[in-house]
Amino acid sequence: MKGRAHLVGVIAVAAAIALVPFVTSNAFYLKVLFLIGVNYLAASGLNVLVGHTGQKSLGHAGLFAVGAYTVALLTARAGWNPWLAFVAAGVMAAAFGVLIALPALRVKGPALAMVTIGFGIVVEKIVSEWQDVFAGQQGIYGVVPLAIGGVRFGPREWVWFTGALALAAHLMIRALLKGKYGRAFMAVNTAEVAAESVGISVYRFKVLAFVISAVTCGLAGALIAQQNQYISSEFITFGLSIFFLLIVLFGGSSVYGPLLGAIVLTLMDAFLARWPHIQHFTYGALLLFALYVMPEGLSGAIRSAARRLFPSLTRLPPLPAVAGEWRLSSAGEAPPAERLLLEARDLYKAYGGVVPINKVDLEIRTGHIHSLIGPNGAGKTTLLNMLSGIVPADRGSIRFGGKDIGRLAPNEISRLGVGRTFQNLKLFNAMSVLDNVKVGLHTRIDAGLWTCLWGLPASARQERKAGDEALRILAFLDLSEHALERADSLPYGLQRRLELARALATHPRLLLLDEPAAGLNPHETGDLIEVISRIRDLGVTVLLIEHHMDLVMAISDHVIVLDYGEKIAEGSPANVQTNPRVIAAYLGQEDDEDAEAGGDADRGALPAVDAGGGHRG
Amino acid sequence: MVAILQAVLSGLALGGVYALVALGFNITHSTTKTFNFGQGEFLVAGAFVAVSGLLLLAGKGITDPLNPDDVTLLRYAGSMVISMVVLGLLGVLLYYTAVRPFVGQAGLAWVMSTIGFGIIIQNVALAVWGPSAVVMPSPLGNDVIRVFGAGILPQEIMVLVASIAVMLCIDVVMRKTKIGKAVRAVAQSMDAATLMGINVSAIVVLAFVVSSSLAGLAGLLIAPITTASVYMGLTLALKAFSAAIVGGLNNPRGCMLGGFLLGLLEALVGLWHAELREISIFMLIILVLALKPEGLLGQRQVEKV
Repeated sequence: MKGRAHLVGVIAVAAAIALVPFVTSNAFYLKVLFLIGVNYLAASGLNVLVGHTGQKSLGHAGLFAVGAYTVALLTARAGWNPWLAFVAAGVMAAAFGVLIALPALRVKGPALAMVTIGFGIVVEKIVSEWQDVFAGQQGIYGVVPLAIGGVRFGPREWVWFTGALALAAHLMIRALLKGKYGRAFMAVNTAEVAAESVGISVYRFKVLAFVISAVTCGLAGALIAQQNQYISSEFITFGLSIFFLLIVLFGGSSVYGPLLGAIVLTLMDAFLARWPHIQHFTYGALLLFALYVMPEGLSGAIRSAARRLFPSLTRLPPLPAVAGEWRLSSAGEAPPAERLLLEARDLYKAYGGVVPINKVDLEIRTGHIHSLIGPNGAGKTTLLNMLSGIVPADRGSIRFGGKDIGRLAPNEISRLGVGRTFQNLKLFNAMSVLDNVKVGLHTRIDAGLWTCLWGLPASARQERKAGDEALRILAFLDLSEHALERADSLPYGLQRRLELARALATHPRLLLLDEPAAGLNPHETGDLIEVISRIRDLGVTVLLIEHHMDLVMAISDHVIVLDYGEKIAEGSPANVQTNPRVIAAYLGQEDDEDAEAGGDADRGALPAVDAGGGHRG
Repeated sequence: MVAILQAVLSGLALGGVYALVALGFNITHSTTKTFNFGQGEFLVAGAFVAVSGLLLLAGKGITDPLNPDDVTLLRYAGSMVISMVVLGLLGVLLYYTAVRPFVGQAGLAWVMSTIGFGIIIQNVALAVWGPSAVVMPSPLGNDVIRVFGAGILPQEIMVLVASIAVMLCIDVVMRKTKIGKAVRAVAQSMDAATLMGINVSAIVVLAFVVSSSLAGLAGLLIAPITTASVYMGLTLALKAFSAAIVGGLNNPRGCMLGGFLLGLLEALVGLWHAELREISIFMLIILVLALKPEGLLGQRQVEKV
């Protein structure tokens, strides 16, 4: 139904783009239409970066410049064919998109915004001060416009061409965002570590988002330069970067946001152009106040208004019925039990003077449930983070399934078959429960960038398959009835279980659980024991950190005890329970006056910098 | 040799201005994890309010042309007080309209709102003082002082002395006084600071007041060297922020160090190829981010998993 409404909309817009230029021949109106198309094009890509991947860029005027000057130099100076130059503009902009993405991998949030401002300013300085090549404020004349059959584009053709380009951009970006790429961008946006833990390379997706936005901004620049047959440094200002970003923020992050933003702001811009002061003042006021009134942008405001007026719109579609129990992809070839799966030797990690992990050896065997216990601050979470690649070891080696994984990125380790959950929940909060699990299936969805970008049938097929499997996983963990709820609307215990579902979706051979029972009531803890045994029965080896000793003793085959970063004991639960060093670690030595009783005792006086586990982690 | 010495001296003076603004970024960032993206416009406002302050003290209208004999040391000091007070108040306004409503909101809304606030300030400044640059004579005159053959303007010496003095003051206040301790406590943990009876909201407002006044002071100090222009803010703020990144945004001494380093770099590169100044700064940032993303004196922030 939604798909049909979209199709009708697209046809209507296409018809409007085709017909309007026949209705009016007023050059000003046609120019405004052209500008709406250009601004939409730039904003649609920027929306992927800003709205979906969460990387604020305030330097996209720089990428606009790359496209514009590529076209200008290639056609006016090097005599290239304008079409070829137009394509080259997109390619050059993509290359610069990679360049501007590099700092984004090192800094986050406001500092990144500042660095992108820096990029924009540097480009502005280069084109205005490097006169020999870029001709500064005088600009480059004689940029060759696009032409068909030797006839140069007039105002009408520009509207048609830009409209077609904008429509194509919309269709491609919509197709991309609907599937695994859209989910991966959102995952990177909400929780980078969790995205890595399911095999998504944060690095690649950030670069990809920058490249997409760079291409659309570069093409927008090329269009402007070719339509005006002129470009100068006057076009490339910080104000332009702000304007692009404002379109995205004002419009909202829905796929239709940039369209609304482009229409409203381009019209406003054209209307206010006579009074430049008021124009800029209005941008300032919009930046300041639009966010008060419409934190979700114009499209968000319209959506919530529509939901209030027509409550039927919020009704959720029925879930498809899915038959069959969920199985691991390797279920047929059940791994031989008791085989060495993961082996860590001599692991060592220090933060300054604090040594959370000191020369620890670890052996994980297939088919077992291993438990990692120890007082708060013993280094349990640090060890888990080292095994999953989040914290690099200072020394020592980790081999998983015979392969050295000590230097691999978390997403590579995940792809090899190590899944994990987090002590402090790291769900993709704004996504539905179902989509969280689908993110877990990311590496299992066999659809490439091109397939998704063009919305080929293969991508839809893969998407349906992933949806079915996600539902089976949810059924396996009794979460089916919550499938379409937002992840952060679930009660705490179910959120923990959803993390488990997401980790399972990666089809792990080894599952690392960081305090899966933290915050659960006794009843839920009982359920968890049953769930973990069922997971083991699927053929997944488990290593879990826990403070609930009843849970640990009930399900573990093997218990490893850490204290002050060192392994002080390991063996069967019964063995460990009677080990004098373990008792001393938990209850304190006899001469300790502040010893606390009970199996789950927390130690009071531990180093202030707690890099390891415990409730503070 | 003389040219290099001269570049070093004026680089240090320029660096003093960057360091002041960078310190302002540090103060609000450490307390609220936000800072004013429109700081450059605040600097502009500081410069123009100072110009008008000087005119007022000379008994003229606020937009009259400024003559060198209008500017005495006493009036300059007076206009400094005016500028810092006005900017401090502007900082309060900024905090309540553009920062507080958005703190903690997803998507860095405060970045946009502070930019918006800055644009509004810039356009108000345009409406009041117009687009052309205003020459602000230095109260110490323009006679070049010779140091080992290198010529240096008295204003540059004053900028250097004043910025170092202010920074020393802030450093001492942060380390030795009760209020400094409170600021540092808020920076560590707002919740814990509240529980210890510290008025966190007052400290946060204070942080914005100090940060904005520093921008005002920087505007007043730099105006006699570069002339006051409505459009000078963005690049200055960007360089100051680069200084903060280079030195370490979460370390006040790092921000000061970064400011001076950047000033020196800019002056020395400018000696060689003037058009490479901005690019060299950007290269330095990339280099620092690649090798030591937390900045030279910054502390690495370990993200908890």
